[in-house]
Amino acid sequence: MTASTPEPLLALSGVNTFYGQAQVHFDLSITVARGHIVCLLGGNASGKSTTMKIILGLVKPRSGDVTFDGASLIGLTTPQIVRRGIASVPEARRLFADMSVRENILMGAFVRNDRDAVAQDLERMLTLFPKLGQRLSQRAGSLSGGEQQMVAMARALMSRPRMIVMDEPTMGLSPLYVDRVLELIRTINQEGVSVFMVEQNASLALEIAHEAYVLQTGKIVLSGPARALKDDPRVRDAYLGGSEAA
Amino acid sequence: MPSWSFARASSRSGTASRPDPTAGAGAPAAFLSTRGSSVSSWLDYTINGLIVGNVYALVAVGLALIFGVSRLINFAQGSIYLVGAYIGWVAVVQLHTPLPLTIIVVAAAAAIVGLIIERFGLRPLQNSVRIAPLLATIGISFVLDQLVMLTFSPNPRALPSQLPDVRFQVGGGTIGPLDLLIAGVGLTSALLLFVFLRYSKLGWAVRAASQDRDAAMQMGVDVNRVNQAVFGIAAALGGVSGMLVGMYYNQIDTAMSLQATLKGVVAEVVGGAGNVPGAVIGSLLLGLVESYGVAVFGTSYRNLFAFLLLVVVLVLRPNGLFASARQAPPEPLTGTFIAPSRPVRIPRWALAVAAAIFAILPFFPVSFYVLQTLINAWLLGMLALSLTLVAGTMGQVSLGHAALLAIGAYTSALLSLTLNVPVGLAVIGGGLMSAALGTLLISPSFRLRGHYVSIATLAIGEIVSLVILNWESVTRGPIGISGIPPLSLFGYDLISPSSIYWFSFVVMAVLALLQGRLLTSHLGRSFRAIRDDDIAARAYGLSLNRYKSLAFIFGGFAAGVSGGIAAHLYSYINHETFNTQQSILALTVVILGGLGNVVGAIVGAVALVGLPEVFRIAAEYRILIYGIVLLLLVRFRPQGLLGTI
Ligand SMILES: Nc1ncnc2c1ncn2[C@@H]1O[C@H](COP(=O)(O)OP(=O)(O)OP(=O)(O)O)[C@@H](O)[C@H]1O
Ligand SMILES: [Mg+2]
Repeated sequence: MTASTPEPLLALSGVNTFYGQAQVHFDLSITVARGHIVCLLGGNASGKSTTMKIILGLVKPRSGDVTFDGASLIGLTTPQIVRRGIASVPEARRLFADMSVRENILMGAFVRNDRDAVAQDLERMLTLFPKLGQRLSQRAGSLSGGEQQMVAMARALMSRPRMIVMDEPTMGLSPLYVDRVLELIRTINQEGVSVFMVEQNASLALEIAHEAYVLQTGKIVLSGPARALKDDPRVRDAYLGGSEAA
Repeated sequence: MPSWSFARASSRSGTASRPDPTAGAGAPAAFLSTRGSSVSSWLDYTINGLIVGNVYALVAVGLALIFGVSRLINFAQGSIYLVGAYIGWVAVVQLHTPLPLTIIVVAAAAAIVGLIIERFGLRPLQNSVRIAPLLATIGISFVLDQLVMLTFSPNPRALPSQLPDVRFQVGGGTIGPLDLLIAGVGLTSALLLFVFLRYSKLGWAVRAASQDRDAAMQMGVDVNRVNQAVFGIAAALGGVSGMLVGMYYNQIDTAMSLQATLKGVVAEVVGGAGNVPGAVIGSLLLGLVESYGVAVFGTSYRNLFAFLLLVVVLVLRPNGLFASARQAPPEPLTGTFIAPSRPVRIPRWALAVAAAIFAILPFFPVSFYVLQTLINAWLLGMLALSLTLVAGTMGQVSLGHAALLAIGAYTSALLSLTLNVPVGLAVIGGGLMSAALGTLLISPSFRLRGHYVSIATLAIGEIVSLVILNWESVTRGPIGISGIPPLSLFGYDLISPSSIYWFSFVVMAVLALLQGRLLTSHLGRSFRAIRDDDIAARAYGLSLNRYKSLAFIFGGFAAGVSGGIAAHLYSYINHETFNTQQSILALTVVILGGLGNVVGAIVGAVALVGLPEVFRIAAEYRILIYGIVLLLLVRFRPQGLLGTI
């Protein structure tokens, strides 16, 4: 039932996750093909953010496996996983509020030691996100939500990741910024970075995704190429079902 | 010349000795008071305040770094300061190292201690309940302090500064080489720290982790390494601070530790927990407030000003003077503070049998010594009942519970001595006074949560002891109260060990029964609801202040009665009879038994009082044992012997 390509970059297989007694994931299997944008849709509390945390090693699954580029991530710490080439744009951005915009972006390159190339990449970010140029020395916490999203994305790119995981990157943004963010995700992807994103807004996400999964109270209820899912009446049903459950 | 400066100057030449600057209470200088206010002495007080502030800053900055990264108040910081002072003593007096080398040796050795604490004391607790690391640092501080005491004896030692004994005129005041050294070390450390945080990769990691730990990990920051760095730096600064203070007063002793922790915590919280520049400003402010307070009211008021400053800041600006509203609230809900567990069910008949055995014990040929030990256990049991209600059932982890003993003891002693109230009634009066006054004193901190409750109660406990010390017309000040009449009931004096035993046992049993009833009542359920989720509890319409008051009234009564009985048993009490060590002992008892667990509180008291006797452990090793017990419990059985309720 999954939209799989022969050699996925990221694969979750048979993941079961618990918070104390409460089970959040039931036998979850998701694959992200190299170079693709894969979207995880679902209503509130369906377990989307927890999926991100599983990938990043912030939460450990009780059973199941997570592999990246063929190697298991189970048992690795978050910093180790980041060093393998996965960057993240967390839910609600989570910038370092008291550090400057420049420092925030450079924090993204924390795992790198090539200073000169990092400096070049910072310049590249400023062409990709031109608005941040005037804001570099400003406190990150003082930016608007949309600007913060830009910083978070620039920060994630600075590690030169092979894959970026994003948790609801359009949440709380004005329509103008939503379009901008989606466009940027596409640009990033075209430069060769695979993307796994969590979204509540199905119609937006399906615009740019290659494949999508629909999560409902911890179970994948639907998956396939984004094109096919966009017209599938069950997407709306399943999706709305998830919202009602929340 | 004001006597304060005189005391300071003379100590420099080694003829007189002053205890550590942070330990005003109980110092011989308590009898001195200073009201001179010429311009030159004011300048002296300002200089003194800033110098002492520098010393506090070295401690507080470390606390702020650690709090920033781990959201932990490191109660072992003062012990590292103590260790630093003694390492300095070994270096100077035994190895004759020159001053620069001494500083390096102290910083390095203290840093190693800090790294060991982080690695073996705290890292294993990463995934435990929020209170576990806090309790662990308390246990570690007991262990370190006792190890220093056992190694070097509790007697004060002189720590010569190796600097020439001259003073320069600056404006109207004077300043000596040691003042300059302390200022220099303070400024250099601040500069180094600034450079580290701003320009080094590890420094960036520290800042990022203290703003958002999870996000920092997602940037590839290894939080364990950050923690290590922070503990190493904090310990190095704290150790050097202890050494400098030892030199400043040419004296070191083991009482320095707790006072340093308290002062550092005050400075840090005043500046805004986790805020490094705030900690520096808070420290200087604290130094000045104390110095001016001493100038106007005398040395014995030094600490009073420190703790009043803390309480005022906590009440008016709980996040400190320099915390901004945008900072995430530093505490999670209280619910995550207590280790959840299923309490051990003890059948009623077993309790009845145990109670009966203890009740008839004096009929058997048991020694006076056994009865004496058990009397102590019952008195501690009452205190533990009180604390387990407040800390366990209500979730307000109090570190100042001995103050309730003191209030009860003084009230009962004074009622019977000066007003000739019969002792039985006086003890009840002590309980009532503790309930009323204790609740009143704690009420400003009702809106605080988690660690802040612990800090506030610690401070309030110190304030009570300092008020007792200074309110001479009522409490007889440092002389204490002697000739307190023995326990008596309906005109009969309780002199024989068995009668005292029965009296204390019955009182404790009655209190325990009442508390057991309370826990199963609707009120008890409300208490736990507030502990587990105060926001939800409030949403259901529970008034937090009212319930917290009720818990403290009930708990205050039990502790006050315990203190009252103790006063009549000891026949002499002073402001140090009931001290922080007892508060921590009570907390250990409560955790040993299981937070909130009534039977556990009594079992814990019997175990902690009785076992050292059974194994005939020498008195000087006991505190060490208590510290180790606390550490082991936190690590391996946070729910205690009988489980939390
Ligand atoms: N740290 C935690 N401890 C306990 N339960 C948690 C924790 N984090 C999440 N949960 C629970 O797990 C479930 C899934 O949470 P998750 O954050 O993954 O959902 P989500 O799909 O991202 O929701 P949203 O759309 O609101 O972001 C929810 O019921 C949530 O309450
Ligand atoms: Mg989410």
